[in-house]
Amino acid sequence: MAGSALRRLMAEYKQLTLDPPEGIVAGPVSEDNFFEWEALIAGPEGTCFEGGVFPARLVFPPDYPLSPPKMKFTCDMFHPNIFADGRVCISILHAPGDDPLGYELSAERWSPVQSVEKILLSVVSMLAEPNDESGANVDAAIMWRERREEFNSIARRLVRKTLGLET
Amino acid sequence: MQLLISSVCMALTSAVIGNAYFQKQQFYPAVVYITKSNASMAVIYIQFFVIVFMFGKLLRKIFLGTLRAAEFEHLLERFWYALTETCLAFTVFRDDFNPRFVALFTVLLFLKSFHWLAEERVDYMERSPVLGWLFHIRVGSLLTMLGILDYLLLIHAYNSTLVRGPTVQLVFGFEYAILLTVIASTTIKYVLHAAEMRTDTPWENKAVFLLYTELVIGLIKVVLYLLFVVIMAKIYALPMFVFRPMFFTIRNFRKALNDVIMSRRAIRNMNTLYPDATPEELRQSDNICIICREDMVNHSKKLPCGHIFHTTCLRSWFQRQQTCPTCRLNILRTPAINSVAMPRAADDAAAAAAAAAGGAGGVAVANAAAGAGGAQPAGTEDPNAVAAAVAAAAAGLDLDGNLGRARRPGGVNVPASFTELFAEANRLPNGLPNLGIPRPPIPPMPMLSPFMMPPQFAYFTPPPLPPPPMPQDLSTLSDDELRAMEGDQRKHIEQRLKLLGNINLMLDSVGIMMNQYQTLTARLQLAAGPSTATPAAPPATGDATESPAAPAETSSSSVYDMPSTSAAARNQQEEARQLKTTAGVAVVAAGNGVEKVTIEDLGADEDDVPSTATKTVSLGNAEAEVDENSSKLNELRERRLKFLQDNNKAANGSEKTTTD
Repeated sequence: MAGSALRRLMAEYKQLTLDPPEGIVAGPVSEDNFFEWEALIAGPEGTCFEGGVFPARLVFPPDYPLSPPKMKFTCDMFHPNIFADGRVCISILHAPGDDPLGYELSAERWSPVQSVEKILLSVVSMLAEPNDESGANVDAAIMWRERREEFNSIARRLVRKTLGLET
Repeated sequence: MQLLISSVCMALTSAVIGNAYFQKQQFYPAVVYITKSNASMAVIYIQFFVIVFMFGKLLRKIFLGTLRAAEFEHLLERFWYALTETCLAFTVFRDDFNPRFVALFTVLLFLKSFHWLAEERVDYMERSPVLGWLFHIRVGSLLTMLGILDYLLLIHAYNSTLVRGPTVQLVFGFEYAILLTVIASTTIKYVLHAAEMRTDTPWENKAVFLLYTELVIGLIKVVLYLLFVVIMAKIYALPMFVFRPMFFTIRNFRKALNDVIMSRRAIRNMNTLYPDATPEELRQSDNICIICREDMVNHSKKLPCGHIFHTTCLRSWFQRQQTCPTCRLNILRTPAINSVAMPRAADDAAAAAAAAAGGAGGVAVANAAAGAGGAQPAGTEDPNAVAAAVAAAAAGLDLDGNLGRARRPGGVNVPASFTELFAEANRLPNGLPNLGIPRPPIPPMPMLSPFMMPPQFAYFTPPPLPPPPMPQDLSTLSDDELRAMEGDQRKHIEQRLKLLGNINLMLDSVGIMMNQYQTLTARLQLAAGPSTATPAAPPATGDATESPAAPAETSSSSVYDMPSTSAAARNQQEEARQLKTTAGVAVVAAGNGVEKVTIEDLGADEDDVPSTATKTVSLGNAEAEVDENSSKLNELRERRLKFLQDNNKAANGSEKTTTD
């Protein structure tokens, strides 16, 4: 009998495959390691990320779902809530108790009722509406707040890059 | 790359040896030549390390197979830390720095790496879907080998310290003792994981065992580190090189200790206070434990907030956090019903006293506007009441709060009058001229559900607000009234705004009411659950005034799922009728468009003398008058409270006997 984390991940994989949410594809990198997933996230429509398809990687801890997974974009991203190395900084991915940037309410933190699907949906909404108070990427946050046009053009360039078009 | 380095190294070594042999022609002089030449010795040392490295690779191939990327990464990271610490240790023992010493440290690092790898492998067991017999043989033999080596080296260090006094062997002895504890915990983990794999059902107690293992091993490690630091500080100098691992060990130990204490409390609460979910409740929810996403067939518990989970899933979560996974209700801070009932009874008495003080004039003053802190004297026609209210406020009594709480234990007091209140309200003037048309019975409020608040607020309910008047249904408005709202003159618009204001007010109060229902039912269920689960618990006594508590509990067992809430509300309303509690609301249109609502709660009919509580509450900035001329009512409440307590105690007792 495999561990409960593995069974839960399998259940989530099944559910995501049978009933995929719009604009999100996710699954284990390989069938013999369910603790590392790949995800593709479509940029939400009507935003500067529209049309892009952004690959990301999720790494699950052995005690999932008691601890949150880690998520990292594997493409270049320029966004107030994404670190320069691609790590995603949203409150749903932080366990209650650790608060890297010191502003999150515990009510929006990780809890075992969250799921991969919810994480990815939160990431989509994060792409649509950056939280410029969290300073994962301060440059991006300032640009988003003060020079929106420039930010949009960078985002559009990234979108073209993820699609393999010339920049 | 590695191949290149080792072959270059091999070539260099053979060159050095060949050169020495070529020059001296004989074995002994050649050896002397090599040991005298620094360059040659450097090459030999490097060769030595390369051989150790290759030996390590060979052992790894035998015992571990190929490393996963994560394992390799962790190994590298820990290796660099260990290397730095080793270099720091060299500084302490710089006097007896010699090749043998370096060799001993190399062996130590070498063994340490395998300990880490074994740990990683055993942790990986939990995540891997299938594990062959090869895995078990490898891990088993690796653990045995490492354990024996650690033990032998520890004994060696001990003996040499006994014979030669404290030397660097002290450090090694200590390091191997720590490694032995690592091996012990890894072995225990391995056994636990392997045992779980053999069974088909998840093994509930594994997490508990793991937690305790961590605690015990952590304690041993902390003691070892402290001893070592003290001994080293006495003999040599402060051992800087163990500070980092010591810090982490102490931190882990503290966390483990905290986890054990908190989770024990939470789990004890879970076992004793929270009821098992009944089949009906499971049917009403979607029957899936949201933690593990598997069906709940048996062994599920219901938290005070009404969310249902597997007992095992809850247990492992409570080892991390003592909150409800869904609504984050802190279950340690959530009072059990018997611990709350007592202070509440006291409050009731205080409220009664305050009411009695005000009772001279028949009016007590309370500001119903969400406990704005001060009770604002308003009913200026009665100075007595004002004085009473001020006195109550000065005594630190939040009159609103008391009244609110006083109503809760009864369970049905508030809900009882709910329908009637609305029904009455419809017949009474509410800003518009009264129509005097009797209304058909109010249908179950369909608009309740949108105002459901998340249950986590259930325990911080604002003081109850009496429902404001029902706005006029347009079909029953007279032509005059409709005309009053037509047109675009100021008074027409005012009329319309007033109507909208009424609706708004009512919706707000409905939200608050719903909240209170939830609080109530949560508390009631807490007491009721065990009694329904264990037939041994005493059923409701024959006392007619107390019986409402029991039906309320059973009927409201479904309350927690959002969609079923209105059904529960209906149940409560029906009970209210059974109770024949009557209530009336007198709504008086006051100046400035502020309404006053007067509630006359006539109490239960079973009380021969109907106790009355009349409240005039102003919503907005005005004031309210309350008549709590109700020592009878209080008596009733106290009896109910007592019943709840008894019931709860009995239920707890029976629950304990069943769980123990």
